[in-house]
Amino acid sequence: MALSTHTTSTGFLLPSIHSAPPFFTQQPNPATEAIVIEQWTKLILSYARHRNLFYLRVEDAETGGDWDEVLRNDRINRRLPPTHLSSILAGMVAKNVATYEPAKQTRSVLLYWRLPEEWAEVLHQWASTTGQMNTIMTFYEITDPPVNSPLTNIPLPLLRKAITILAKSNRAQIIAIADGEGVRFFTPAK
Amino acid sequence: MSLKRFSQSIDGTIPIQALLYDDEELLGSQDNVGIYDGQQKSPRHQSGTAYITSHRLFYVDGPKPDSCSFSIDLSHVSRTDYYAGLFTSSPKVTLYLAGDVSSESNDEHAPSIWECQVCGNHNSPGFSPSAARICGLCGVPRDAADDSTEGSSAPHLSSSLPASGFAGPVQRSSKDPVPCPACTFLNHPSLRTCELCETDLPRRPSRRELQSAPVSRPHSPDNDEEGDPANMLIKVSFRKGGDKAIYGALKTSLNGKVWESKAATVDRGGGNRSVGISGILRTVENSVQERETSMHDALQDLEALMVKAKDMVNLAAELNYKLTAASSTNDEPEEATFIRSSLTQLGLHIDNAPVTQDMTKDERRWHEELARELAKVLQAGLMRDKGIVALDEVWGGWNRARGVALIPPATFLQVIPLLPQYTTPQVSTRKFVSGLTVLHTPPYSASAFSARLAGFLVMHGSRTTLEIALEMELDMEGSNEAGMSVSLCKEMVEDCEREGGVCRDDVGQCAIVGGGGVGVEVRWWPNLFVGYVWDGQSEEDD
Repeated sequence: MALSTHTTSTGFLLPSIHSAPPFFTQQPNPATEAIVIEQWTKLILSYARHRNLFYLRVEDAETGGDWDEVLRNDRINRRLPPTHLSSILAGMVAKNVATYEPAKQTRSVLLYWRLPEEWAEVLHQWASTTGQMNTIMTFYEITDPPVNSPLTNIPLPLLRKAITILAKSNRAQIIAIADGEGVRFFTPAK
Repeated sequence: MSLKRFSQSIDGTIPIQALLYDDEELLGSQDNVGIYDGQQKSPRHQSGTAYITSHRLFYVDGPKPDSCSFSIDLSHVSRTDYYAGLFTSSPKVTLYLAGDVSSESNDEHAPSIWECQVCGNHNSPGFSPSAARICGLCGVPRDAADDSTEGSSAPHLSSSLPASGFAGPVQRSSKDPVPCPACTFLNHPSLRTCELCETDLPRRPSRRELQSAPVSRPHSPDNDEEGDPANMLIKVSFRKGGDKAIYGALKTSLNGKVWESKAATVDRGGGNRSVGISGILRTVENSVQERETSMHDALQDLEALMVKAKDMVNLAAELNYKLTAASSTNDEPEEATFIRSSLTQLGLHIDNAPVTQDMTKDERRWHEELARELAKVLQAGLMRDKGIVALDEVWGGWNRARGVALIPPATFLQVIPLLPQYTTPQVSTRKFVSGLTVLHTPPYSASAFSARLAGFLVMHGSRTTLEIALEMELDMEGSNEAGMSVSLCKEMVEDCEREGGVCRDDVGQCAIVGGGGVGVEVRWWPNLFVGYVWDGQSEEDD
């Protein structure tokens, strides 16, 4: 039987496997389930990149939210059960494309549709193109700039990780300021 | 000397309370008493204290308590007399004694801890002799429990029951029923009062009086009694008064007859009534015997049934032979074909007599012969319509066809590996994960079935297990009309899933509308995931 792709209302192209009801069931056969988890991981990260979403929780499978377009398929009357989603999250964390955030629980993850190293590069790039080098910036200015940047609404833990990576290569430095934290970017010494 | 005969010496230095039995009670005491043995004063017992208890009369001597003190069981007292005393003679209480002492001796039941056979209670030795005869917890007389082995520790209850249940009362009393003097009802000889009207029955010559010449005497053989066997008596003389109180206590004690009630219970327990512990013992024994007889009868019936089964097999063979003979020239009429086919379907007809072990010498050859026979049975009846059949069905059908000399499961399991050589198409064994073992023809092997299943699902879309069971087999060309049994189908589909041939869609869990729960409805799809190529949103970098 032919399965087709589908474009959602936000302009995201769902793969044809998403129209297959077995995709939503947790498969007992381990080899089959490995393939299923892999496809779901790809789908979730792709959607997160498309919509600029960072967090995914197990509860998102049950209640409505940003993820409904992916976690449910009303055309075939199927949804992803929370147990299956939980095991998919575990798989993603094991592959290091997500991490449990806040730590020590298994219900909510922070997605790395862009790895922290990549975020670090993007951050440094943005700082230099907007002419904010060598000035102290607050975190708020980075996450909520007047002009939309790829870093808009980035969660603070991820931002901190990226800055830490830059600090290791001497391209940024964390400063403690009056309320909150600040960061200063440097150009790397040639 | 009636005193010597009826009393037991005790150590008077021990306080009186310590000498009592556990169920004995002290009713009264009086000092300054003397004892008369018969009509004369007893020289050694002239100044002491008398104690009346519910079971005995104690005398503790004043000057020599350790050597001159004694006790008398009140059960030996037949009547009492009271003499108020004149000017110089002191008040006296006379006790007339009767009964034989040695038959009451407690030597047979040694005063030690004994274990009751019925309830397992350990009875302490502190009880009075009559109380010591029955168990403190359940009331079963000690003799009834271990009559056959006196004093030994634990004879099995059921083995001792026959001895006790029926031997007891017969031993103790004579066999003739006793007529009641009031209502002329014939009572059991061991009863004391009439069963209907409760009047006292005349005492039969009880064993006490029958054994009136004791073999062994517990007391020293002193001066034998000169005459007067009917008038053995003891007098207690009260030098300082207190006679009224003691006499009252004595009367109370005698009326209470605590030992009497126990003894009566002991004897009455031997009666043929179905109440109390002995009744329960009797019913248990009866039911055991009943069970044995019924089992024996049932086994005899089973033997008869086996003979009949053999007859049926012979009849079937005869019928088949006659049909063959009758229709050898023409085509077989419809009924004959029908009869023959039903016989084979029932598994009743086999061409040869069943192979038994004594027919062939070598066990290996015997297995091969059995395999050959089983192959014939399978092809004739059991597997003709179905390509796959469970092992228990095969075993049952084969044994039914044999009729006699049935095959035990162990032999059966040894024979089935030999089947593929003797069957066409080859019948092989397959064992599922759940433990179900089946015999199947090649179309039903794992690989063949999964290939068929995948093809079926591709053609018809997703199906539930039930639908597969019903519909799939219909598609096969030239095969059976009936489908597979659903549970068997489920086993095979799950096996296929384990191999990776199909994947499941749990409608109950995943449906947005109308889901029921995990595993409620499962639909099967061909495995879509193997070799799937991603065709969703391509990854772009910002």
